[in-house]
Amino acid sequence: MSASLAGSRWIRADLRARKGQAVLTVLTVAGIVAALITAATLLEDGTNPWRTLFAQTDGAHVWLHTKDSPQVALGGIDGVTQTVGPYRSAPVTVAQDGKKEPASLRAMPATPPQVAHPVVAEGRWLDPAQPDGAVVERSFAASLGLRIGASFTIIAISGERHTLYVRGIADSADQGFYPEWTPGLAYVLPIMLDRIEPMLGRSEWVTGLRLADPEASQVVSQRVVVMLEDRLQRVYTWREVRAAMELDNRLLGTLLALFGVVGLVAAALALANAAGGRVLGQLRDLATLKSMGFTRGQIALLLLVEHGALGLLGVAIGALAGWGVMAAMLGATSVAPIPVLAIVAGTALTVLAAVGVPALRGGRTPPIPDVPTAPPRGRLSRLARLALLVRLPPALVLGTRDAFTRRVPAFLTAFGLAVPMMMITIGLGVWATLDNFLAHPEQVGQHAGLYARPGKIEAAEAERLVRADKDVAAVYPGTDVNALAPGEARSVRVRAIGSSTQPYPFPVVEGREYGRQGEAVAGQGLLDLLGVRIGDRVRLTVGGTPLIVRIVGRTVEPEQDGEVLSVGLDSLAAKDSVPPEFYALALKPGADPSEVRGRLLAESKEGLDVQAAVNPADRLAIIRVVIVALIAVLTLIGLANLLTASALGLRDHAFDLAVLKAMGLTPRQVMATLVTGTGLLVVLGIGVGAAAGVSVVTGLIDLQGHTSGVGAGIGRAPSPLTVTVTVLVAVGTALAVALIPARRAARAQVPVTSR
Amino acid sequence: MSTVVKTVNLVKIYQDGAVPVPAVRGVDLQVEPGEFVAIMGPSGSGKSTLVHMLGGLDTRTSGEIWLDGKRVDTLSESAWALLRRKRIGFVFQFFNLVANMTVGDNVELPALLSGASPKVARERRESLLAALNLTDRAEAAPAQLSGGEQQRVALARALANEPSLLLADEPTGNLDSRNTRDVLRLLGEVHKEGQTIVMVTHDARVASLADRLVSLFDGEIVDDGRIARRRTRTAGEVIDLR
Repeated sequence: MSASLAGSRWIRADLRARKGQAVLTVLTVAGIVAALITAATLLEDGTNPWRTLFAQTDGAHVWLHTKDSPQVALGGIDGVTQTVGPYRSAPVTVAQDGKKEPASLRAMPATPPQVAHPVVAEGRWLDPAQPDGAVVERSFAASLGLRIGASFTIIAISGERHTLYVRGIADSADQGFYPEWTPGLAYVLPIMLDRIEPMLGRSEWVTGLRLADPEASQVVSQRVVVMLEDRLQRVYTWREVRAAMELDNRLLGTLLALFGVVGLVAAALALANAAGGRVLGQLRDLATLKSMGFTRGQIALLLLVEHGALGLLGVAIGALAGWGVMAAMLGATSVAPIPVLAIVAGTALTVLAAVGVPALRGGRTPPIPDVPTAPPRGRLSRLARLALLVRLPPALVLGTRDAFTRRVPAFLTAFGLAVPMMMITIGLGVWATLDNFLAHPEQVGQHAGLYARPGKIEAAEAERLVRADKDVAAVYPGTDVNALAPGEARSVRVRAIGSSTQPYPFPVVEGREYGRQGEAVAGQGLLDLLGVRIGDRVRLTVGGTPLIVRIVGRTVEPEQDGEVLSVGLDSLAAKDSVPPEFYALALKPGADPSEVRGRLLAESKEGLDVQAAVNPADRLAIIRVVIVALIAVLTLIGLANLLTASALGLRDHAFDLAVLKAMGLTPRQVMATLVTGTGLLVVLGIGVGAAAGVSVVTGLIDLQGHTSGVGAGIGRAPSPLTVTVTVLVAVGTALAVALIPARRAARAQVPVTSR
Repeated sequence: MSTVVKTVNLVKIYQDGAVPVPAVRGVDLQVEPGEFVAIMGPSGSGKSTLVHMLGGLDTRTSGEIWLDGKRVDTLSESAWALLRRKRIGFVFQFFNLVANMTVGDNVELPALLSGASPKVARERRESLLAALNLTDRAEAAPAQLSGGEQQRVALARALANEPSLLLADEPTGNLDSRNTRDVLRLLGEVHKEGQTIVMVTHDARVASLADRLVSLFDGEIVDDGRIARRRTRTAGEVIDLR
């Protein structure tokens, strides 16, 4: 190909002449691709660790916790291929670095079982020669900061302290990751568990069932419920484990995916706009090339290669960056190749399609270089006529006229700015929502800032202590219990808190607060899970006792994917509710939770276990980083569009400049004309984008809340001040960017015959 | 040697909205090898359109164009492009150098395009630039050159592939008198070496350099005659037109 050599010369020269724009294009595409890959990995990774872990450990599909060793033949249930356990398991508290974390110690034999055998990632499995050794589940160990060989103290229910040594750290698919799934899990030898918790009554038995068909887990667990009746404490299936493992990443992934997809559209537009603008600016050069013997196809190919190569380079860099970030954060195996390849192929096609149209148009350039190429028609738009009517300065009128002379580029410019601006507003809305979580925890179900559990002291004494504290505004006794739902293969959390006379102030967004015995409020997740609506009655079983409640309202429920039913403590049977498991403490405004916690700990002589409520926003803090990064990428996209627009504007005015000056416009007025032309589109795009963003952001966040189970009613639009400042900053930056070339053009000596 | 260019009843009609605007109305022109033809006429007489059609930059409405004994008016746009690579060199009023490429690259481009190896292209560029006294400006950007220098580069580029026909559209239209003289001297030199040239101009002094003058008026040839060879180089030999 003789033309390829000549063409590559031309491409190289052209790229050299517009390095900045080229870099901007590459960065824009790279940012979008990186965001998409990160999103896909986070979304995929949510299910990945479970899948891998389940396969590695030959996991059990159904897990059941019973009060005593199940005496029925669980292995005889249709579809169960193997059973594992029962293992005795005792609830303990791990005291580490002043923190107290709930844990369950599970007795496991020295030879790991065939099914649901934890995979030792570091160190070794339990060894009878070292009875004080423990193997800690990996996420729990990470949360506690435990390494191989480290010692840690556990406190049994009796209050006795024991020291264990970490012999191994293991992966397990038996339960979700700590701290999303509590208590944390550690394995010890049966002999050690007997020593730590000699009372069989304080422990439970854990049995796992492996099924031939994972889809049968619902039916099997139904059978288990029927067979074990009130001896069954809790049952859950692999679905809950999988859901628990994907909890956090999912929201982030959804956010990134939303930004990525819209960003891709915006980037494609920006790319098409940039390529199109460049082609328009090069019509004369293209005509010259044609007069030298380049064919139409070769010119189109040349442009496609030049602009496409920039986009593809961006795709490559973005893919590498996205892969690198994910590999660094989640490990090299976390990045699934197929979605990454799909994203790379998809974005590459989008890029080529985006630059293909201007490339084809460039190929159709007539080969006569001398003819000035299609001068824009100077029709006076309605807006310009209006500007004339209200007697705006002439520069503004001319600028207003210029803004809409080329309709398609004008639309592309405004649209190309509106889309990033809309996404930025949405990002700010997410930010505002997180801020709102922090500023008003009571709106996300965290009216209580502290939770006090009577540890070594009596419940009555604990209640007296917490009520006596000067900063405690209200005390709500409460208990969390697991309840079996009819027709569901799993337990749900019932949170009994407050009472019908003093209900816990849940953030009820639909219906009303519970006000009587037998009334309950629920999170969106629970409503979806049970397929019920407000006003329906549900029948659950708590430790063998039926619990029949009418759901009277929906709350914002950030815990357990919203699958929580909340009732008053007096709705529970006395055996479950007396004494209360914990006291939720609502603090007086301005009180410092850590101060109150310290005081309560001191007054109870460490007899109380006091924990601060974890705000969901704290878990989502990484989202803020992502929002900042995305805003940066979106700004790049906007900037790319802006540069194209102002370059195109200048090009269209190459003739006009001399004429305008000849007519007597000062350089300042010429500059004002040019800036007005671009600025009007900028203001339009940014205004429309911000308005669109503000109008959809609440709905989008609520939609995400609904699907994630938290429920609608959490979304917040960014404050008017934030939006105003953002719009002003965006318009200001845009005008400043448009001003520089306009200034240069206005001062330049433009020969009338330049083209 | 056969005729380089021949047109038979060549017609070009532009369509301005619904109104047909005839630009060239039945031109019969024949250019022999080694001839230097100047085409003159007032603005709008169709001289640029005629030259553009000869180079395939514009399509004809009817009539025939023959180049080196082959009929070319029926060629596709791509075929014309391939033809231009080797057979036709263009020089335009506004030089039309590729602004982002250096002078050297501008001159090398046609050679590369016609399939010469980078080495050959480089050699050809060296000799052309040397002949046009531009060797030291090879790495400069076109914008850094004066108009005359730019036009000399454009000429070098047009001659890079030793085309059988050099088409020049107002090559001096944008130059001052000194640069005009330089460019004309060069045109004269390449013509002396046997290059066939068709040049459009409305400057009689420029036209006087040619050895044949074709006058166009309203798209028709109104005069076609040989110019007696000048004896002196003094300006002022004006051919009177009817």
